[in-house]
Amino acid sequence: MKRHSPLFAALHYAMLIALAVLCIAPIAVIFTTSLRQQVQIFAEPLNFIFTPTLENYRAVLEEDKFSSYLMNSLFVGIVSTAVTLVLGCMAAYGLARFRFAGRNMVAYTTLLLRTVPLAVLAIPVFMIWNQWHLVNSLWGLVLLYVAVNLPFTIWLLYGFVLQVPIELEEAAAIDGCGPIKVFMKVLLPLMAPGLAAASIFTFRIAWNEFILALVLTDRHTRTLPVAASLFITDMGVDWGKVMAMGSLIAIPPLIFTFVAARQIITGLTAGAVKG
Amino acid sequence: MRTSPWIPAFYLGPAVLIMVAACLYPVLSAFQLGFFDWSMGTPWSDARWVGLDSFVSALSDPRVWSSLWTTLQFAAVSVSVEMVAGIALALALERPVRGTAFFRTLFILPMMIAPIAVGLAWRYLFDAQFGLVNAVLGLFGIAARGWLADPTLAFAAIVVADIWQWTPFVFIMMVAALANVDAAVIEASRIDGAKWWQMTFMVKLPMVMHVIAITLMMRLIDAFRVLEVIYVLTFGGPGDSTEILALHIYKTAFVGQQLGAAAAISVLLLVVVVALSWGALRLSNPLKNDR
Amino acid sequence: MKRRDFVKSSAMTVFGAGLPVHGALAQSRYARYAGQTVTFSIPAHPHYDAMLKILPEFTKETGIKVDVDKLAMGRMKEKQLLEMAKSQGDYDLVSYVVMWKGEYVAKNLIHPLERFFRNSALADPAYDLKDIIPIYLENLGMVGGPKGYLAGPGAQLYGLPYGAETSVLAYRRDIFAKHNLQPPGNYDDFAKLLRVLKDKEGIGALASRGQAGHQCVHAWLLHLNPLGGSIFDEEWKVRFNDQAGVKALKFLQEVVATGPAGIPAYGQGESNTAFLQGQAAMYLDSTSLAGLVNDPSKSRIAGKVSWALHPMGTRRASQSGGLGLAIPKNAKNADAGFLLMQWLTSKAQDKACARAGGTPVRNSTMLDAELVRQYPEFITFREALKYSNPDWRPIIPVWDKINVQALGVGISEALTGRKTAEAALNDLVGPVTQIMREANYKV
Repeated sequence: MKRHSPLFAALHYAMLIALAVLCIAPIAVIFTTSLRQQVQIFAEPLNFIFTPTLENYRAVLEEDKFSSYLMNSLFVGIVSTAVTLVLGCMAAYGLARFRFAGRNMVAYTTLLLRTVPLAVLAIPVFMIWNQWHLVNSLWGLVLLYVAVNLPFTIWLLYGFVLQVPIELEEAAAIDGCGPIKVFMKVLLPLMAPGLAAASIFTFRIAWNEFILALVLTDRHTRTLPVAASLFITDMGVDWGKVMAMGSLIAIPPLIFTFVAARQIITGLTAGAVKG
Repeated sequence: MRTSPWIPAFYLGPAVLIMVAACLYPVLSAFQLGFFDWSMGTPWSDARWVGLDSFVSALSDPRVWSSLWTTLQFAAVSVSVEMVAGIALALALERPVRGTAFFRTLFILPMMIAPIAVGLAWRYLFDAQFGLVNAVLGLFGIAARGWLADPTLAFAAIVVADIWQWTPFVFIMMVAALANVDAAVIEASRIDGAKWWQMTFMVKLPMVMHVIAITLMMRLIDAFRVLEVIYVLTFGGPGDSTEILALHIYKTAFVGQQLGAAAAISVLLLVVVVALSWGALRLSNPLKNDR
Repeated sequence: MKRRDFVKSSAMTVFGAGLPVHGALAQSRYARYAGQTVTFSIPAHPHYDAMLKILPEFTKETGIKVDVDKLAMGRMKEKQLLEMAKSQGDYDLVSYVVMWKGEYVAKNLIHPLERFFRNSALADPAYDLKDIIPIYLENLGMVGGPKGYLAGPGAQLYGLPYGAETSVLAYRRDIFAKHNLQPPGNYDDFAKLLRVLKDKEGIGALASRGQAGHQCVHAWLLHLNPLGGSIFDEEWKVRFNDQAGVKALKFLQEVVATGPAGIPAYGQGESNTAFLQGQAAMYLDSTSLAGLVNDPSKSRIAGKVSWALHPMGTRRASQSGGLGLAIPKNAKNADAGFLLMQWLTSKAQDKACARAGGTPVRNSTMLDAELVRQYPEFITFREALKYSNPDWRPIIPVWDKINVQALGVGISEALTGRKTAEAALNDLVGPVTQIMREANYKV
């Protein structure tokens, strides 16, 4: 017996709306603060009526290095995602379909590597990257992001590979497809949602990541999050500009969220829930 | 299938190579680095071998232990609230209504936003002079507090920021899990006359216990990895009331410039995290489902 | 020497600066380096923001380009250390905080400046090193002398002050007039005034730093020095937990109690903001505030501020410190870096920077009639500089570590009420002594 009293529905919606407001409020604060003038930022916080200004965005965008920060972030984000996807996909397939000596060790080590705190990684990486002359190079950062994202990507895609019936692959092989063609014609289409989720997560991490980028970049290879942190100084936080920068950084993840929410949720819940 | 060793090597090789070179090797190097005393600004060749000194002093340093304690408290409080709130909200809102998809989209936003932006937003909100939190409290007649100036309140601030960011994650996991629960069992128990709390605690939750356990472990491990939000929000202050272990390590290395000592402490953090991960693996071994 | 050259050289000696001949000489000084790029590491700091406004002039005048790397002060040291430790570093000129000078010299990272000043091809004959405010020069630039950081036998010049500061009291003359109050001349009056202002006006009495780390130590040192205390005694044993130390820390606790909400989290920026936004009636900190008071985007109190000397305790001892410029030993373009350093601190450019809101480093700048009209507080600052204490803090190589990791934590605990002043200071004796011992001091 289902009871859908109007009261129940109203309560339901009220809760949803309240939660939504809570979720959005801080993000809204970032955007609204970026539109405030300096003097207004120090004024009444509850005063939501103010003359918006694009001054902060202008200051941030016109700073001569901004385009280089943007390019660096885009490069690092896109390349790490691409490399991680390709390698992760292959590794997931290898792990799922083959039995070989050392398989368990590879699997467990991958799982454990996923949980390494970045602070622990930062120090030896700083030292090693210096020795290999990878410091202050975008490829050095890409290498690190790929290594850090592979574990999660492999396990995410592993679940999706397992869902593809092996009979389909065998059928394609009988049809005369080489292993690569099997991969591309059978697996990739069926794994599409998983690939979408994996690419979103990987890009999100590479784009948002701050600590490792802070340690490993100089002014030529600086990424956007690190540039944002420059507005936090000993002399106080330049709120207008830092919030403008923060809003700009938030745009790609926001777009992904609205466009691909379903894939993201699927990706998050896949491994845990199905198990 | 085929057992020629070259084929798996082809598929797994590049990924394994990168993970070993850029993740495993540095982690193992951290152990090695802990045996040296190396301060920044001096060449590596000048680094002194100090054996177990750094490890011993890390383990006997009260600040390391207080930092670990702060981290444990942070993990305990944040994760408990996130789990309870996430599960409760999932139970309350599991029934899909019109517009659910839109709301779920909004709920993912907190964890998609850059942690540095999250830290900045909450730092602004908690500001004693012009933060929204104090302004809202003022509406209810509560005096303005120096949130980030008081050790307990600053701790509350970092907990709130973490809860805000990750409760939606727990919520989404639980909603997906509850959706997967066999409807027949629910119907059966309803026909049997079970009250709502019996249904919740004796039927539904046990059926999703597996997901709860996994989510709990994931959140617990992630709580030990938090760094960026706190770096921006309080940078460990006031005093060292919010200096979680990851931040203490960062400060020792990059502010105190003692890379060897920091590496020794990071081994400690690593041990804790690996122990938790091992526990997580025991709970849910993905390889169990092999065909 | 040909007769023509003789006339030329004597004309130069006689007329010095101002003649086109001098310009020609200057051109020849820079000519060799035109087209090079100097990479300059600077902090995000109001003085350097002002400097950025005059920097294009340098490239116009000399043809030497400048690539500026602006970093938050907290990150600057780590980046500089990293660059200076390489065989060839990225930076040709670095701005450093006074507290790092001992460490930089001990690690052999920066050039002594004497050889640049002796190089007639580089040195500007009209430079006039004596015109640079002596206390700044000693505090920011001298290493190797008595105690390691004071002027005297053995001291060598490693850096030039740029963005140096001393401490001064700023107060709202409108609020003081309203309640018929006088700015405090000594610490007893000062302590009484804190309560009076808080009760009568309702806003914070004194804006102050208080954030854990070097910020709260700085705030405490501001009071420790005039009250007669110091960190170490003559034998490098700690004495900061003596009567003077406790009195200074108790005073700071009172400042927190009567100040605007949130002092224990305030860095210098938040403290500035609190005063500039009208949340506190007084401000006791760096002279660099002067450049911000009349900036409408930051200040609401323009025209309402008066200045006074740092109050007296058992003595007058205002702060000495700030930022300086040095040349890394592994710089690619060390000579060009020196030329930039010399240009920035020259008489003309110091005035230009002060006009743009920077802090002067020269006596001639502080005496310039036009600038005094723009910044009447210069008169008070000149007086304040007389009492600036070169031994305001022990700038030994290991000071930064003591500051941030030991004192910075303990003082903050006293300010947040976790410990009493006595307990906080007594508990710090052990850690600080330990650090000193590890640095090979016999204590």
